[in-house]
Amino acid sequence: MADPVTESAVLDALRKIEDPDLHQDIVTLGFVKNIKIDGGAVSFTIEMTTPACPVRERFNSEAREFVSNIPGVTAVDVQMTSQVRPTRADQKNQLIPGVRNVVPVASGKGGVGKSTVSANLAIALSQMGARVGLMDADIYGPSIPMILGVKEGPKVTDQNRIIPPVEHGVKIVSMGFFVQENEAVIWRGPMLMQMITQFLGDVEWGELDYLIVDLPPGTGDVQLTLCQKIPLTGAVIVSTPQDVALKVAQKAVVLFQKLKCPILGLIENMSYFVCRHCNEREELFGNGGARRAAVDLDIPFLGEIPLATEIRTASDDGLPLVISEPESPYAKAFQHIAENMAAQVSVQNMSGAGQVNITF
Amino acid sequence: MAAVSSINPAHVPVEISRANQHDVRIRWQDGHVGVYPARYLRLRCACAECVHEFTGEALLKPSAVPVDVHPARIEAVGRYAVQIRWSDGHSTGIYSFDRLRLICPCETCLPTAGA
Ligand SMILES: Nc1ncnc2c1ncn2[C@@H]1O[C@H](COP(=O)(O)OP(=O)(O)OP(=O)(O)O)[C@@H](O)[C@H]1O
Ligand SMILES: [Mg+2]
Ligand SMILES: [Zn+2]
Ligand SMILES: [Zn+2]
Repeated sequence: MADPVTESAVLDALRKIEDPDLHQDIVTLGFVKNIKIDGGAVSFTIEMTTPACPVRERFNSEAREFVSNIPGVTAVDVQMTSQVRPTRADQKNQLIPGVRNVVPVASGKGGVGKSTVSANLAIALSQMGARVGLMDADIYGPSIPMILGVKEGPKVTDQNRIIPPVEHGVKIVSMGFFVQENEAVIWRGPMLMQMITQFLGDVEWGELDYLIVDLPPGTGDVQLTLCQKIPLTGAVIVSTPQDVALKVAQKAVVLFQKLKCPILGLIENMSYFVCRHCNEREELFGNGGARRAAVDLDIPFLGEIPLATEIRTASDDGLPLVISEPESPYAKAFQHIAENMAAQVSVQNMSGAGQVNITF
Repeated sequence: MAAVSSINPAHVPVEISRANQHDVRIRWQDGHVGVYPARYLRLRCACAECVHEFTGEALLKPSAVPVDVHPARIEAVGRYAVQIRWSDGHSTGIYSFDRLRLICPCETCLPTAGA
């Protein structure tokens, strides 16, 4: 008769599974919970740091395989769950207490596709099971309501709390709900700061895993205010592949680093063209510009999105591609980037970087 | 995968605490520890009330600062700075981590410590 199966044998087997982003095994990372052993039947839970985990299936099958190889094990039951970690567990985020991670989407220059990327990322994350909010902080040209086809504005409670409309599972708030387009242009410094603080604090976000913030282009007061008012998890920078665009993107990277806001990574938009007849990829500006720039800047590269009429028309129609054609290569590009971004959020939150402890 | 190592770890504090009743102690990510005498810090406030925004001229008169001035409260400003509320009521000064490291008055840093 075989020796009884022990918990430590199970843990040892699971220690062979390494998280590719966090560079540690899943036991050390504390992902393994609820181990139950009943004779030869072993069950346990693997709790990932995000539902948008690209290696979810691999963890699941490796866990089954490694544990069933333990002598005496006759059955393995693996539960996969997720629990998104908050940024800075030590410091209360008083303005938006239920929001675990705030991810601004920024760019050096306008028109590179920030809003398109923000909208598709937010929906992709929500489709994967995360609780997601999208804040359109582009006071100069709010475009999220159009891209997502938001039909109704927010509701305001008697206590003056703003209840955001939900579209495709994502809670949406736009500066466009509250500000006339030509009104915002004159806002500067302190006034803007007050507006954004109010905008953040008055919204009933509830519990969110990710709040994606679509920023105005460049490096102005909105970016500064956000960095001062709430602990940001890290910024995502969008660029097109041209050299000029990448130079400007670098400026945005430098600004966020100056404000000690980590950079989750760089996304290349409008990066190549897929021929609709032969499905061949055509590089428009030479290959891999942003990927190289990311290496030079020492920041992660999150992925590339093709230039496609379909992406534009989907936005014009208020129905982003990840909804209307989730199996298309374009939607896949966004889903892939959403997974990489979620992985980088976990990396930031597990690294403990930027957690200054003030006792004065 | 590349980590965000372009942030200079030397300029990221891990802990900001009391060195004694009034002075501020900062422990940095690279292990360095500096103690900032309270009045030394107050006199180096770089806010628009204390330093002229365009000319850089000092507007704060040291003689106007109480000898026993000390921080009443220190709060984080985003991820890059702290705001200090002083016992003399002054509270507009934001001290970025980069600058705090630059003005570290310890024996090792002092020769290079800026104004
Ligand atoms: N990958 C893409 N393929 C084709 N068209 C795209 C793609 N990405 C964005 N677009 C289109 O390019 C235009 C600009 O995109 P978007 O509004 O998202 O950019 P932005 O960076 O938010 O601009 P702004 O700086 O004005 O806020 C839009 O018409 C959008 O539909
Ligand atoms: Mg936009
Ligand atoms: Zn001052
Ligand atoms: Zn020193």
